[in-house]
Amino acid sequence: MLASATGVAAGETGGNAVDTFLAGVKPEFVPAWAVPLTAIAIGVGIAIALVSVVAMFSVWLERKVAGHIQCRYGPMRVGWHGWLQPIADGVKLLLKEDLVPLGADRVLYVLAPSIVLASVLAAMAAYPLAPGFYFADVDLGIFFILAMTSTTTIGVVMAGWSSNSKWSLYGSMREAAQVIAYEIPLGISLLVPIMVAGSFDLIEVSRDQAGFFGLNWYIWPWVNPFMLPAFVLFFIAILAETKRAPFDLPEAESELVAGFMTEYSGIRWSFFFMEEYAAMFLYSAVGAFFFFGGFESPLTWGAAKAFGDHSVAYQAAAATTLIVKSFAGVFLMMWLRWTLPRVRIDQVMTLGYKYLTPLSLLCVLGAGLWEVFLAPHLSWRNG
Amino acid sequence: MDFRGILDRLKTARVPGLLGADEPRDPNPADKKDKGRRGDPFVWVEPRELPAFLERCRDDERLRFELLVDLSAVDPSKDDPNLWIVVQLLSLAHRHRLTVKCTLPKAEARLPSSVPVYRAAQWHERECGEMFGITFEGHPDPRNILLPEDWVGHPLRKDYVFPDEYHGISCK
Amino acid sequence: MSTPLHTEPDRAARQGEREFLLDVRTQDMEVNMGPQHPATHGVMRILVRADGEVCTGAQPHLGYLHRCAEKIGENVEWLQYLPYTDRYDYLAAMNNNLGYSMAVEKLMGIEIPRRALMIRTICAELNRIGSHLIAFGTYGLDIGAFTPFLYMFREREWMMALFEKICGARLTYSYIRIGGVFNDAPPGWLSEVERFCDVFEEKWQEYVDLLMVNHIFVQRTANIGVIPPAMALDFGLTGPMLRGSGIDFDLRRDMPYELYAEIWKAGAFQIPLGKGERGQLGDCWDRSYVRVMEMIESIKIVRWCLGAIEPGPVIADIPKTLRVPNGEAYVGIENPRGELGHYVVSDGGKVAIRCRVRGPSFTNLAVLEELMPGALIADAIAIIGSTDIVVGETDR
Repeated sequence: MLASATGVAAGETGGNAVDTFLAGVKPEFVPAWAVPLTAIAIGVGIAIALVSVVAMFSVWLERKVAGHIQCRYGPMRVGWHGWLQPIADGVKLLLKEDLVPLGADRVLYVLAPSIVLASVLAAMAAYPLAPGFYFADVDLGIFFILAMTSTTTIGVVMAGWSSNSKWSLYGSMREAAQVIAYEIPLGISLLVPIMVAGSFDLIEVSRDQAGFFGLNWYIWPWVNPFMLPAFVLFFIAILAETKRAPFDLPEAESELVAGFMTEYSGIRWSFFFMEEYAAMFLYSAVGAFFFFGGFESPLTWGAAKAFGDHSVAYQAAAATTLIVKSFAGVFLMMWLRWTLPRVRIDQVMTLGYKYLTPLSLLCVLGAGLWEVFLAPHLSWRNG
Repeated sequence: MDFRGILDRLKTARVPGLLGADEPRDPNPADKKDKGRRGDPFVWVEPRELPAFLERCRDDERLRFELLVDLSAVDPSKDDPNLWIVVQLLSLAHRHRLTVKCTLPKAEARLPSSVPVYRAAQWHERECGEMFGITFEGHPDPRNILLPEDWVGHPLRKDYVFPDEYHGISCK
Repeated sequence: MSTPLHTEPDRAARQGEREFLLDVRTQDMEVNMGPQHPATHGVMRILVRADGEVCTGAQPHLGYLHRCAEKIGENVEWLQYLPYTDRYDYLAAMNNNLGYSMAVEKLMGIEIPRRALMIRTICAELNRIGSHLIAFGTYGLDIGAFTPFLYMFREREWMMALFEKICGARLTYSYIRIGGVFNDAPPGWLSEVERFCDVFEEKWQEYVDLLMVNHIFVQRTANIGVIPPAMALDFGLTGPMLRGSGIDFDLRRDMPYELYAEIWKAGAFQIPLGKGERGQLGDCWDRSYVRVMEMIESIKIVRWCLGAIEPGPVIADIPKTLRVPNGEAYVGIENPRGELGHYVVSDGGKVAIRCRVRGPSFTNLAVLEELMPGALIADAIAIIGSTDIVVGETDR
C-alpha cells in the first residue's frame, strides 16, 4: 500500500498507490515535486506514530510486568488495569516545566534527546511492518538499521556532557564504552543468519523462512547448529545496546540517580524513554526476523492459504505475527530486568570483549564452514 | 576476669597512668549526704598517660582489650571544674569489659590522642572534641564531625547557651 | 579541604598500565555522593575523589541527621527519653529500647519478670529479622536487583503488623520499657508469631536462591571491600561487620544478657560467621551472608521463647516519676548492626546527667575511609551497602 514512498525520492519514477492518489487529488497550483514530499511526510508521520504507540504500550507493559513479578498489581486506576496510564504520564510530562540546568551547554542539551530519538526513527525506515507495507525497500536492510541505532550513542554522550553534572558524565561515559563494546558481537552474531539467508533485506530473510506451515525458522538446529548460540549472543548484545538490566549501568538508578538522564525532565526525558522502548522493540523485531521467522507463522500461512498472497488478511496476519514476536522479545527483556542484578562496568566490558566477541567469531566460523561444506548436501536446505 | 582480677592485673603489670579504682558501694549510714553509688566499677587514669595505658591494655596477654568500644566525655555539672573522659574497652578473647575514666580541667581540656593505639578512636575523639571542647593532641584529622564547621560553642557542656541564630535562621 | 585525601592512584587497580602513562596526571574528579542519593542509606554526604571510575579517596560528612539525642537525654526525665531511643536506629527500634532500658535497670538494680524477658527477646529478635530484611533488600537494590527488595518488604509488613498488634506502632515502638514491657501480648499474638516463623523459613530460602547465590550478585560483592580481621579490631567494628571477617564474637553468646545464656545453653541458635566462601574472607559477600544466616538463627530463638513462655506479670513495679540512684552504668547489647551501648550517669535525680549512646553505625562507618580508595565507583556503592548503616544512628 505505502510501498516505495521514499523510493520515489530516491529517483524512482513510476507509481505507487500513495503517489498516484496524491497526484490525483493535487490542486492545480501545487507544483509536481510536492507530491513525493507529501508522501514522505505521510511516511514519517506514520513512523512517529508507530514509535509513540509502541513506546506507550511498552511503558504500560513494563509497569505491569514489574508489578506482577514483584507480587503487586502495577497501575490499576487509570482505565481498566491501568491501560490509560501511559497517556496520563504523557500529559503530565507535557505539562512539566522546561528546565535547562545552570551552566549546561544549551545547544547540546536541547539537541541530545532529539538526536537519540531521530536515530531510532531513522532506523524505522528500513523496518517493514508487513510484507507489502514498508517505508523504504532498502537492500541494506539490517545494515542500515544497525548503523542508525548506533548513532544514539552520540546523543547519549551529548546528554551526559551538556548536563554539567559529574554523575551524568559518568553515565554517558559508561554508555559509550558499553555500546561500542557490544556492537561487535551484535553485528558478528547476526552474520550467521545473514549467511544462511544470503541477504541483508529483512523481507527477503522473512520470506526465506516460509514453508512447513510457516514454521521453517532459522533457529532450528537442523538449519544451522550455530544459530542458537548466535541468537544467545545476539540477545545478550541487544540487552547491552539498549542499556537494559543487567547492563543498565548508564542509567543505574541506585548509583547515579539516573545516569546521563539525571538533569532531564518533562518531554526531553520522555524522548530518551521513547527511544529506549523503541530500540528494544526494533532490536527484538530484528531478532524475530533473523531467527524466528519474521512474518511467518501458522497464522500467516493459514491466511495466505485462505485469502491469497496479496490480500489484506495476509498482510494483517503477517503484521500481527511480527508484533507478537517482537513483544515477546520485549517481554523477555523486561522479565530479565526485574530479576537480575546489575553487572559492574568493567565486568560488562570483560564480558563483551573477552567472551562474547571471540565466541561470536567462532560461531561465524563454524556457521560458515557448515554452509560451505555441509549445507549443500542437506535435502531440507536445498528445497 | 571480673573487675577485681583486671585491677590486680593492671597493678601487677604496672600499667602506666593508673590512679585508682572506684567501685559501687552502699550509702554510708553515718553520712546523710552520701548517696552511695550503683552501677559499674571503673578505673581512674592520668589523662596524659591515657594512650600508654590503653596500649598496655590492648597488648597485655591477660587483659587483651582488642576493641575500643567507646570514647566519650561527661560534664558532671555546671559547678564541677572538671570534665570526665570515659573509655569503654572490650576484650573478645577474655570476654571482659573495662571502663576507664580521666578527669580534665574544663579550663584546659587537652590530652594526647589515642588514635595511634586504636583507629576506632579517631571519629570518637572528633565527636568529643566538638561536643565538649576537648583538644586531642596529635589527632590526624580534628575537624568537626556532626556539627557544621563553623559552629560556635560546645553543645554538651552544661554551661552551653543555645545560639539565637545560625546563618540567618532564628529560633525565636 | 585542609586534610589530604589519598591522592596516589592504587597501583594494584591499574596493573596493566604501562610506565609512561602513569606520568600523565589528569586531575582527579571530585564527586559528591549525597546528601540526597539513593545509595547512601540516609542523609549522608560522601566526598569521593575519583580518577575516572577508580576512587582515590573518600571522606564521609556526617551530621545531616543529628538531632541532639544526647543533649535531650540530659533534659528530659528517664521515662520520657524512651521515644528518643526508638529514633536513632529506627529500623531496629525494639533493640534500642532494650539497650536503654537495660542500662537504667542496671543502675536501679531491679528484677525483670520472666514473661517480660521472654516477650522482650521475641520482639528484639523479630526486629532483628526486620532490620536484616531491609539491609539485605536495599543491598540488592543498590546492586540493581529490584525484586528481592519487594519480596523482603512483604515479610517485613507482616512483622510490622505483628508489632502494631502488640504496641500500636509500626516503626518506633517505645514498647520495651524500664522494668519490662508496656503491655502484655494480646490473645492470639503468640500463635501468629509462630505462623510467621513457619512462613518465613520458606520465604528465606527464596531470598537466598534469588539473590545470595546469584552469579551477578556474587561477582559484584565477592572480593570487594575486604576487611582483614586485624583491621576490624583496630576500627572497633562489631556485629556482622566483625563476624563477616571471621571473628567469632557475638554479645548474645559471649557476654549474655537477658535470657540469651539460657537459650544458648539449650542449643537453640548458632552464630553464623563469614568463611570466605565466595572470595576473600571479610568481603562484602561474607557480611551479607552473615546477615542472611542470622535471620534464620533469630527465628530459632523466637521459637524457643514461644515454647518456653508462661503467663505472668510483664512489668516490674516502678513509680511514674523515676528517680534513678546515683551512679553510672554501661550496657552494650547486640543490635542488628553491632554493639549498641548506652552509658548513663545519674546523680539520683529525675533527669540523667549524661546519656551517651554508642551507635554501631557511627563506628562501623569509619572503615569507609580505608576501604574506598582503590575501589571502583560501583564497588563503592557495594561497600557502603555492606556496612549496613542507618544514618539516624550514625548522627543521633
